[in-house]
Amino acid sequence: MAESVTVRIPTALRPQVGDNEAIEVEASTVGEALGDIRAQYPEFGERLYKSDTELNRFINVYLNDEDIRFLENLDTKLSKGDELSIVPAIAGG
Amino acid sequence: MSQNLDRYHRQMLLPGFGEEGQRRLLGSKVLVVGCGALGTVVANLLARAGVGHLVIVDRDFIEMTNLQRQVLFEEADVEQAIPKAEAARRKIGQINRDVKVTAVVDDLNHTNIESLAEGCDLIVDGLDNFETRFVVNDAAVKMGIPYVYGGAVGTVGMQFSVLPHTLGGDAAWETLEGGSQATPCLRCIFEQAPPPGMNPTCDTAGVLGPTVSIVASYEANEALKILTGNWEAVSPTLLHVDTWHNVVKQFKVARAYDIGECTCCKKRDFEFLGGKLGSSTTTLCGRNAVQLQHKANGAEGGPKLDFDEIAQRLEKHGSVTANKFMIRADITDNGEAYELTLFTDGRAIVKGTKHANIARSIYAKYVGA
Repeated sequence: MAESVTVRIPTALRPQVGDNEAIEVEASTVGEALGDIRAQYPEFGERLYKSDTELNRFINVYLNDEDIRFLENLDTKLSKGDELSIVPAIAGG
Repeated sequence: MSQNLDRYHRQMLLPGFGEEGQRRLLGSKVLVVGCGALGTVVANLLARAGVGHLVIVDRDFIEMTNLQRQVLFEEADVEQAIPKAEAARRKIGQINRDVKVTAVVDDLNHTNIESLAEGCDLIVDGLDNFETRFVVNDAAVKMGIPYVYGGAVGTVGMQFSVLPHTLGGDAAWETLEGGSQATPCLRCIFEQAPPPGMNPTCDTAGVLGPTVSIVASYEANEALKILTGNWEAVSPTLLHVDTWHNVVKQFKVARAYDIGECTCCKKRDFEFLGGKLGSSTTTLCGRNAVQLQHKANGAEGGPKLDFDEIAQRLEKHGSVTANKFMIRADITDNGEAYELTLFTDGRAIVKGTKHANIARSIYAKYVGA
């Protein structure tokens, strides 16, 4: 069942999603949520995804405070009010 | 209390610290890798806390645009063209005479990290690129030295403390009564360095002084726990702060070691330290130029540059010409003129210097990795 969740967009990817800091989507899995945003903003998809079914490995996605790699990755189920954070490695300093 | 510890009275009052903790700090040696915004804040805090020996490595000279956030430097250092590591040494000498500082004006890379880290109790991060962080992470895991990572750009930053799993499993943090406190390493969490040009850098996207100070203060906070042996107090989470929108998150990462197949800390294949991954530089004789060649950074097929985005960023710094094969930009950095040429495969030529460390610095600032 599709649930309303918030996806937090990192600074580096905001230009690709109309400068939004966060996007609300209706989705039942992590893959659906990110796929929705990708369908709407293809340039965002090009940066986040390595292939159709795999994310780039220098970007992590956390469901609330857990890394989706250690849940069920893109198949991880979502609950109402969940927050997904897209977190790229930060290199500056 | 003996006379020479008086100045540390306020922190010795803290539980878990005391005179014993203070004596441990005074007997500690810490490698500070990079001495920009993060590095100056960390070095300042550790020196004031009485860490006995700081080895500070940085390849750069101080520029006027550094003073907005790099707390150990002054206008006179810019005018006198003092290297950052040396200026930090002089300033810390005025702050705390108990602290010995070794200034190393050099590019930190896979050829020198192990000799610099030898005998150190901790490595603390003040770097400006991810590739060197993976070199440091490799060395920390191989040598069994805790490594405190921090990174910041814009108004966002993150911090994580690596207490590495060692080959013998007998490090102080692995043999505690309450169980091992060993953590994943940086490569467990981020399997790959971002491709060159993918992420904003402080020189292209800007950076807020307080953001780096907050991240560096967290680094120093964790460093003091580690150096005093308060292992249980060391944070096991990846801290993420957005100081503009006031969002602070702590991501759970402990399982990254248990479930993951980390090349570095599980398979103990130190690809960056061995020079298998990362970049190499070649001085182009007679051309006053240096070529930087990027090997695959853990990504299949190597990095692909987003020319449009990089061109947009570089236009803020000088004239840019681009075609589908390369981007060429004229950049003025610290009063010197350079011509930076980037090719689609990630190769770069920095014209205007014969020195690899200057070329690396220009690349890290304006392209990023």
